[in-house]
Amino acid sequence: MKDIDRRKFISRAAMAGIGIAGAGALLASCKKKIDASELKLPPVLRGAPKGKKLRAGLIGTGDRGTGAAINFISSGPDLEIIALADVFQDKIDACRTRFASFNLPIPEENCFTGFDGYKKLMAIPEVDVVLLATPPQFRPEHFLEAVVTKKHVFMEKPSAVDPVGIRSIITSAKKAEAIGLNVVTGTQRRHQEDYLATYTEVMNGAIGRITSAKAFWNQNHVWYREREPGWNDMEYMIRNWNNFCWLCGDHILDTHVHNIDVINWFMGKHPDKAIGYGGRARRVTGDQYDFFSVDFDYGNGISSHSMCRQIDSCANGTGEIIMGTEGYTNCQNTIWDLEGNIKWKFEYPKDENGNQMETILIPPYVQEHMHLVYAIRTGNYVNEAERTAESTLTAIMGRTAAYTGRAVTWDEIFKSDMDLGPSKIEMGPVDVIFDVPVPGTPVESNVKPLFKGQII
Amino acid sequence: MALNLYRGKSHAGRRTKIWFLVLGILLTIGLFWSGRKVIKYTSTNNYCVSCHIHPMADQSWKLSTHYNNSSGVIVNCVDCHLPPEGEGYLFAKAKTGLKDLYGFYFKDSSKFDWEKKGLLENAKKIVYENSCLECHSNLFPVTLSVNGGNAHLLYTTSKDPISCLNCHLNVGHYDPAAAAHAHDSSFGVTVTSTEPPFESPAKVDRFEDFTEMIPGTRVSFRMIALPGGEFNMGSPDDEPLRDADEGPVRKVKLSKFWMAETEVTWDEYMAFFRATSSQGRTEGTVVSNKKTDAISGATPPWGAPDQGWGRGDRPAITMSWHAANVYCQWLSQVTGKKFRLPTEAEWEYACRAGTETPYFFEGNPKKLTSDGFFRKIFGPDTTLISSMVIYNVNSPSKTEEPSAVKANPFGLRNMAGNVAEFCSDYYSPDFYKADSTGINPRGPSKGPEHVIRGGSFKSDAKDVRSAARDFTKTKAWLVTDPQMPKSIWWYSDCIDVGFRVVCEIDSITGR
Repeated sequence: MKDIDRRKFISRAAMAGIGIAGAGALLASCKKKIDASELKLPPVLRGAPKGKKLRAGLIGTGDRGTGAAINFISSGPDLEIIALADVFQDKIDACRTRFASFNLPIPEENCFTGFDGYKKLMAIPEVDVVLLATPPQFRPEHFLEAVVTKKHVFMEKPSAVDPVGIRSIITSAKKAEAIGLNVVTGTQRRHQEDYLATYTEVMNGAIGRITSAKAFWNQNHVWYREREPGWNDMEYMIRNWNNFCWLCGDHILDTHVHNIDVINWFMGKHPDKAIGYGGRARRVTGDQYDFFSVDFDYGNGISSHSMCRQIDSCANGTGEIIMGTEGYTNCQNTIWDLEGNIKWKFEYPKDENGNQMETILIPPYVQEHMHLVYAIRTGNYVNEAERTAESTLTAIMGRTAAYTGRAVTWDEIFKSDMDLGPSKIEMGPVDVIFDVPVPGTPVESNVKPLFKGQII
Repeated sequence: MALNLYRGKSHAGRRTKIWFLVLGILLTIGLFWSGRKVIKYTSTNNYCVSCHIHPMADQSWKLSTHYNNSSGVIVNCVDCHLPPEGEGYLFAKAKTGLKDLYGFYFKDSSKFDWEKKGLLENAKKIVYENSCLECHSNLFPVTLSVNGGNAHLLYTTSKDPISCLNCHLNVGHYDPAAAAHAHDSSFGVTVTSTEPPFESPAKVDRFEDFTEMIPGTRVSFRMIALPGGEFNMGSPDDEPLRDADEGPVRKVKLSKFWMAETEVTWDEYMAFFRATSSQGRTEGTVVSNKKTDAISGATPPWGAPDQGWGRGDRPAITMSWHAANVYCQWLSQVTGKKFRLPTEAEWEYACRAGTETPYFFEGNPKKLTSDGFFRKIFGPDTTLISSMVIYNVNSPSKTEEPSAVKANPFGLRNMAGNVAEFCSDYYSPDFYKADSTGINPRGPSKGPEHVIRGGSFKSDAKDVRSAARDFTKTKAWLVTDPQMPKSIWWYSDCIDVGFRVVCEIDSITGR
């Protein structure tokens, strides 16, 4: 506050010295650039600052969870993982073995299995930070418990799988903010130095006014698990969570939410409405689609075309394009003018041999943890939960539009009582039918072939 | 000498001036100090209580969570009933003070209707939203429930105005009747009557008044046979205090039908609720019951739908238009007759009962209205209207039992007042102009809201006229429903609308 005042005073004094006519010319010639702090961008750090030792507990100890835990401890000094929770013992064992191999043993009494393992973990008073990396179905209850037990939080995207979960996340986010708990979400593009620099350029008018956007995450098929003998319905679905909508939210949430989040970020708002298509052409298990194409309407004639697909041997690629009145950008590192000439490019650093690198120095997956630790240790508050929940809800709006064939508005989806999954989460049989959604209504018709093979 | 004199005078003048200056400063300081003291003193609870003649308000305050709470903090009168300091505090204080002085010296405090002053719309005028937020700066405490979270998200994101009081009306003054603030799943479950229930509905073989009996219950109600006929619907241009949507007056012809003597009572409505209530996980959807033709009815309400006024013969309230409509379907099913909501034309025909005057009794709306400054001071003679209508002048700010009024010439009670009544028609302000048939008219084929007629215990005399029209306000009546989507069975924010049933002649004759 004081600094700002002083800057204002100096600039005023300088203005007075230059005189009114001169000041006008000066203002016109070097318009002040809107900087990172005004844009509320996160700091770009080389490492988290020193400070009080922070002990973290990991909830959801699969590959991403274990990865997030390693990202956390490598983001700065005096950071430890001291507790684990997962539904399955084998997942805990694998994670513990991994940490033991780094010579960082995690005590067995701090490892909890079962659906209520997270509660036991969060009841440990020494745990300062929790890393939430389970399938998103469970995120809302885990986040709420974290706030109730006063833990700082890193949580993976997506935030939830349905509007009931999203509202829970937003409410918990506000509760966390009220009592000063820091929350960082796994939307790494927002912590990536090249994205941040491109965003700064765009906000300073490098592509003029935004007119449209495109976001895409098209890739080969993703992993699935075949059901093994001895697994009950619940165990099977959780082990194969990436293929069931009530656990995963479908891939428009799971992966594509990154691109959707970037578009919302650059647009500065969420869309008002979505109309979309999708279907299931080659998926093997579960009840999800393997392609979506959604038009997100941001109002005033501005749309973002969102597409995502998980099918092999197709035109693949991921990223974002934003068009403006004076150029366009890939949001990551390059800005073109309307003729396709490069106007601006992010300068990547050189490695120790002086060779030009193609990536930034600190991986964004680590950078986001540096930010969390920085926020906790310096008191520069951060809470990304609500905006990630908004981007997740945007994806849910798109998913619902594709599943139903209807136009879905923000207001409708924000207030929706959609609450996916069985009402009771417990191991054993699950008597819910998981049909693949079909949009619209059927045509009532008696058309059928008269003989096998007849063209109809 | 002259110079001296002048000098002396000038000396004395300057000294006086200095004295005046000092005195002035002292006086200002004194005034300022005492002024602050006065402001402070006149803002204490004791001062408020000293001349506000409302011991029950003082008691209910002490019972409320703003006085009686685990933290030991007492919220003072002025903390809620004046804006925060610096936000028009002194102005509001002066205004309220003058009003109170006037009331204290010139009005008879025993005639104040405190209950009415506690109604939501009146409470909003004397409680300041910013004062709520001054203390409650954290709307998302960690202990907030899921429904609380939804409600506060709605409050912070809604484009329509919502006041804290919409949900928290009784937090400053305790009201035991309104204290229930949860899903009342035991609502209406117990049946108190010990008499044997009716085995079958009324048998009707000719067109005359009859008493309908709801099989399986002890509930019965009178149906009045109304002859068919032609009447002038709407109000003429010269009717005092009419609205434009009541015209043009047109001739409307109606077939004969039965209409219930009274508005549907709680006893009648509870029979329906007990028989059909559903415990759906989602409130906002009609659960289609696939087995035969069973009707799936309302979900349990939140809080007390009867507002703690009691049930029995009082008109049922707070049910949605949809619920009222489903009630009629159910009643038809259990009685084997064709019950439904009245059309707007049937309603007005029944209310007028052959009269063409503003009311079905003698009275001039201009003389009976309480609107306007002079009316407030010189009240009109309301003896006749009060014997016929429960409206804002004679009502205790709540519904009354049907026996409190006399019937109209057709023998129907509470057509005007008590609670407004749903009609089956959609509302359109210019339907009278558009309708060309004039025979059993049924209103526009589509519309956002339905007609309600008859005014309520809250209405002014001008709004209980036979021709006065109004319509449902679905959005406003659900503004504080914490569920998403909102209930289709209960209005959270409407306490003065009910309904009355009609029975079609066809269902008896089999035509």
